[in-house]
Amino acid sequence: MELALINRLRKLNRAIAILVGVGLLGMAGFVVADIVLRQFHASFGGSEELAGYAMALVSSWGMAYALLELGHIRIDLLRSRVGGTARAFVDVFCMIVMSGVVVTIAVKCWPVVARAVENGSRANTPLATPLAWVQVPWFAGWIWFAVMTCLITLAALSLLLRGRAEDTEPFVGAFAEQDSLQ
Amino acid sequence: MITYVSAGLLALLALSIPVGIVLFLLGFGVDQFFSNFPLSRALGNMVWSSSSSATLIAIPFFVLLGEILVRSGVATRTYAALDRWVSWLPGGLVHANVATATMFSATSGSSVATAATVATVAMPQAEKLGYDPKLFSGAIAAGGTLGIMIPPSINLIVYGFLTQSSIPQLFLAGLVPGLALALAFLVVTAVICLIRPDLGGTRRVFPFMQMARALVDLVPILILFGLIVGSIYRGWATPTEAAAVGVAGALLIAATFGNAGWEMMRESLLGTVKITSMIMLIIIGASFLNFTLSSAGLGRELTAFMEGLGLGPLGFIMVVVVLYIVLGFFIETLSLMVVTIPIIVPMVLAQGYDVIWFGILMIVLIEMALITPPVGLNLYVVQGARKSGTLNEVMLGAVPYVLVMLAMAFALIAFPDIALWLPNALE
Repeated sequence: MELALINRLRKLNRAIAILVGVGLLGMAGFVVADIVLRQFHASFGGSEELAGYAMALVSSWGMAYALLELGHIRIDLLRSRVGGTARAFVDVFCMIVMSGVVVTIAVKCWPVVARAVENGSRANTPLATPLAWVQVPWFAGWIWFAVMTCLITLAALSLLLRGRAEDTEPFVGAFAEQDSLQ
Repeated sequence: MITYVSAGLLALLALSIPVGIVLFLLGFGVDQFFSNFPLSRALGNMVWSSSSSATLIAIPFFVLLGEILVRSGVATRTYAALDRWVSWLPGGLVHANVATATMFSATSGSSVATAATVATVAMPQAEKLGYDPKLFSGAIAAGGTLGIMIPPSINLIVYGFLTQSSIPQLFLAGLVPGLALALAFLVVTAVICLIRPDLGGTRRVFPFMQMARALVDLVPILILFGLIVGSIYRGWATPTEAAAVGVAGALLIAATFGNAGWEMMRESLLGTVKITSMIMLIIIGASFLNFTLSSAGLGRELTAFMEGLGLGPLGFIMVVVVLYIVLGFFIETLSLMVVTIPIIVPMVLAQGYDVIWFGILMIVLIEMALITPPVGLNLYVVQGARKSGTLNEVMLGAVPYVLVMLAMAFALIAFPDIALWLPNALE
C-alpha cells in the first residue's frame, strides 16, 4: 500500500516537474525575445522581474519532485557503513527531521502571503505586479512540498514499523550519486 | 558561536540529514541560542527574497543547456572530433578526455554533468583500444572538474550571489586559471606517458582531411561558447540573459546536429528541475543561515577570533587551504562551498584579500574535493560509467591531477594576478 502511494506521488510530481520545466523553457524564450527586441530599441519590459518570479515558482514546486527522485544532497559518510535495518532507521530519522523543517518553512511563509493579500501590496517595480498573484502560487508550492514530505515520511515509518525496512531504500534511502549532477 | 555552528554543522551532516535542511537547522539554533530577538520571524521573507532572484534563474538555464547537449548526442560527436585532433600526443585518447571536458565545461557550467558525459562516451573506446584504466579514468574525473572553473559556472554564480560580488567579473577571473589548468592537465598527461608509455595508449595520427572534417562537429560548441561569453562582455546581456541565449543555442545545435526529440526534451527538463531544486534548497538554507549569523553578531566575533589567532594574512590563507582540503575529503563541492561561505569569506575579506580572487581560489580547492576520496562525486560518476574495475583505480589515476590543482592553488596565492589580470584589464 505504501509503495503504491509512493508510485502515485512519483507520477504526480513528475507531471508537475514537466510543467515547471516547460515554464522554464518559456521564460528562456521570453528573455531571448527581449534581448532581440532591445537591439531594435524596443522591449517587453520587466523580463528581469518575471524571471525572479519564475525562479521562486520553480524552486517551490520542484522541491517535492527532487525529494522523490532522491535528488537532495546528503553526505553519505556514516550511513553507508551500517547494516540495512539501521540504515533504514537513519533514513526515517532524517525524513522526520526534514518534515519538521519543511513544515516550519511553509508555516513561516504564510505571513508573507497574508500581508500581500491584505494590503494588496504591489512590487516596487515598473510592472507593479500585485504580489499576491505570484506569492499565493509560490506559497502553495511550499505547502505541497510540506505535504509530500510528511506523506513520504509516514509511508517510510509505516514500512519500518511493519518490519519491511529494506523496502524504504528506494524512496528515502541511497541517493543515486551517479545522476545527482550539480 | 563559531565553534558551536561548525561543530553542529559537521555533526548534522554526518547524520546524513540533507544539506539544505542542515543549514536551516543551524539557522534555527543560532536564533534560539545566540540572538536577542526572534530571527525566525523573518524566515518567510528570507525564503521569498532568496528564491525570487532573477540572477539565480541562470542556474536552471545553464543546467538545461548542459542536459540538452548531453542527451542529444552532441557530446559524442565532440569527443570523436577532438580525438582526431589531440590523439597524436603521447597518451593518445587520454588527451581527448581532457579536451572534451574542457570544451564542455566552457558551455555547461556543471562538473559532474561534464564528467558523466565524457565517461559515457569515452569508456567503450578505452576498452576497445586497450588503455590502462587508471590514468584514463582519472583524466576524465579530473577533466570534469574544469566545468566549475571555466565560465559559465554555476558555482561562481552561487558564490557571486551569496557574497554579493560581480558575476561577470568572477567569470572573467576564472577563464585564465581554468584554461591554465586544462593545459597543465595535458602537459602532465604527456609527461607521464613519455616516462611510462604503458599507461597511455597508441598515439594515432589522422589524415588532415579527417581532421578538417571533424572541425564541423567542434564549431557549434565553440560558437555557443562565444555567444554566451561574448554577449555578456559586449554588454548585450546579463549573465542570466546569456544563459537563456545559451539554452536557445543548445536547442538549435541539438536540432541541427543531434537527435532532438520529445523524449530527449522531457528527460532534459526533468533533470533540470531536479538539479535546480536540489541547489535551491541549499541556497535558500544558506541565505537564512547567513542572515541569522550576521544578525547574531558574527562580524564582531570573527574579528575577535582572528585577533586571537595572531596569524598574518598569508598564514591565515594557508589555514583556509588546509581546511578546504580536509573538508573536501568528506563534503561534496556545492555543499562545501555554500556552508563555508558565511563563515570563511568574511574572515578572508577582513584580512584584506579580494573577494573575486578568493572566489577563484575557492573553486580550485573545491574542484579538488570532487576527485579526492572518500566523498568525490566525479570519481563515483566515472566509476559508474565503467563496466569493470574498482573505484581505487579511478582514485589512483586522479592523483597526478590533484597535485596539479594543488600547485594551481599555491600559484594563485603567490600570483593573484593569474585570476585578477583579465577582469582588471577589461575594466
